[in-house]
Amino acid sequence: MNLSIRVDSGEVAHASTWLGETGAARGIPAEPLSRLDLCVTEVVANVIDHGGAGTASSPIYLRLDVHRSADGGEASVIVSAAGARYDPLTVPSRPRPRTLSEAQPGGLGLLILRQFADALDYSYSEGQNHLTIHVRWNEEDAP
Amino acid sequence: MPITHEDVSESFRRITLSGRLDGPGTAEVATKLAALSTAAKRRVVVDLTGVSFLASIGIRAVLSSAKAAQQGGGRMVLFVGGNSAVTKTLEATGIDALVPMFADAAEAEKAALA
Repeated sequence: MNLSIRVDSGEVAHASTWLGETGAARGIPAEPLSRLDLCVTEVVANVIDHGGAGTASSPIYLRLDVHRSADGGEASVIVSAAGARYDPLTVPSRPRPRTLSEAQPGGLGLLILRQFADALDYSYSEGQNHLTIHVRWNEEDAP
Repeated sequence: MPITHEDVSESFRRITLSGRLDGPGTAEVATKLAALSTAAKRRVVVDLTGVSFLASIGIRAVLSSAKAAQQGGGRMVLFVGGNSAVTKTLEATGIDALVPMFADAAEAEKAALA
């Protein structure tokens, strides 16, 4: 299942709605779907906010794949966007602030991605950045 | 309304956020949240029970307001009730260690006024 969205902040909710409806229809259980939704939202928002001129000129593409077995399943979304090469997986993790006064507002999107995705993959081809977000579940956890 | 508030007393305010905090409109909510949270020495409980989706932009708004409240001599705590999605997001990002978070409204109020 594929979706293309404009590079516009109003499209963040559009992508989330599409994923929620399509994912549920494809049998992704609620908990992994919620994690996938949050991760995809963070990636899409980051592309829109920080992608730059090279990104804004082309749509953002989302592709959802779901694989189920007797033991469980895996769902993945590939988010593809034009622009200069940028691999978020190479960004070092920031140390957790010890106090509220130390806390900085940046880096939360990447932290959410690393905490909620079961696996992340990155590639760059033909002027497009591709980030794949994977979530997994056991069949015993599915409704 | 994505943000409402109730002044329980001169120094204690309850602020309620609702809906999705993930994109357009969140910036406006963030501005209002900051303004409502940072009155001098204000004690604030932010009710997140009605937030259906909390992305990093929403967390930043809460974090910024909590910092500003603290810098102004006030205190902000979070009331999440049974909202498991919001709770998990705040725990995963470590925000619960920086801004006190409660599932019980009375405990949240008590912590804010302490």
